[in-house]
Amino acid sequence: MRPTVKEKPKNTSAFPARTPLPRKSKFQADLAPSEDRMMRALKAELQLTSNTDFLSDALALFRWAVSERKRGHRIVSESLTGERKILVFPRLERVAPDVALPRVDIRWTAKELESLTELVSAKPAEPTETLVRAMRQ
Amino acid sequence: MAVTIRRLEEFDEVESFDCGDDPLNSYLKRHAWTNQQKISIGVTYVAADESAPHTVLGYFTLATSSVPRDRLPRKFMRGLPPYDLPLILLARLAVDKRFAGRGLGHALLSEALKITLHVASEVGCRCIVTDAYPDKAGWYARYGFIPLEGAVGTGLQKMFLDVRTIRRASSFEAFHSS
Repeated sequence: MRPTVKEKPKNTSAFPARTPLPRKSKFQADLAPSEDRMMRALKAELQLTSNTDFLSDALALFRWAVSERKRGHRIVSESLTGERKILVFPRLERVAPDVALPRVDIRWTAKELESLTELVSAKPAEPTETLVRAMRQ
Repeated sequence: MAVTIRRLEEFDEVESFDCGDDPLNSYLKRHAWTNQQKISIGVTYVAADESAPHTVLGYFTLATSSVPRDRLPRKFMRGLPPYDLPLILLARLAVDKRFAGRGLGHALLSEALKITLHVASEVGCRCIVTDAYPDKAGWYARYGFIPLEGAVGTGLQKMFLDVRTIRRASSFEAFHSS
């Protein structure tokens, strides 16, 4: 009788190769007490048990609002009696296409144009602390 | 006060607005809505409080403009391609004097600069300029606006802020808050 030889598997590792899972980002926020209370109340109303679920739902809603506003759609709430209210949210207004500004002509003196050309040709100035604060607002 | 900044609407209450400057009051009351909706030469954004959402506490007006390339003095052009120079004009900014000193001017300018950055990313613009009253030039300078030399007779000081500086301030914020 011919002896049987067990064929060695090509992959000698005890476990199949795994693709690494994408790293999850951590999110930490400092909330004012009133915001914390608001978040807890919303979580209870929506029957959400974890902050992760809360953030995930909020993100989905925010993403939808941004995409609607980007397409120029307005976000409207309508009451049972047909009364309509349009959502105006400054951050959303920034992505709306109707932010496009009209065009005007400016009067320049020759000296102002020299000064302007020099400035736009030069390395940009470093932002001031007040400007950084303004962009953080 | 919970202030929102949004575009001027037709039925906003502007008649009681008083920033202490007649041309700025008059612009808001007589021209801002027409200029925005009918002849499209400027968009006005207003600050309003949640408790009285149609009462204007402050405003600013923006428009785009450009300098034709043949008006830019060649000897000062270093590294600029031969195109017209697109820019944003901060045409007006005013706060009702009853609400002065509460950071509304800062909030309005902050919003104007954010819109500038957004417009720059959507259609391209190189800088924002404004015509400042001489006694307000120092306030704009705190935000990095640089006075342009050569004003003649208007009593106004043209001031300039590079979009690259604003962008940098914005990313500086992102870097430091991460």
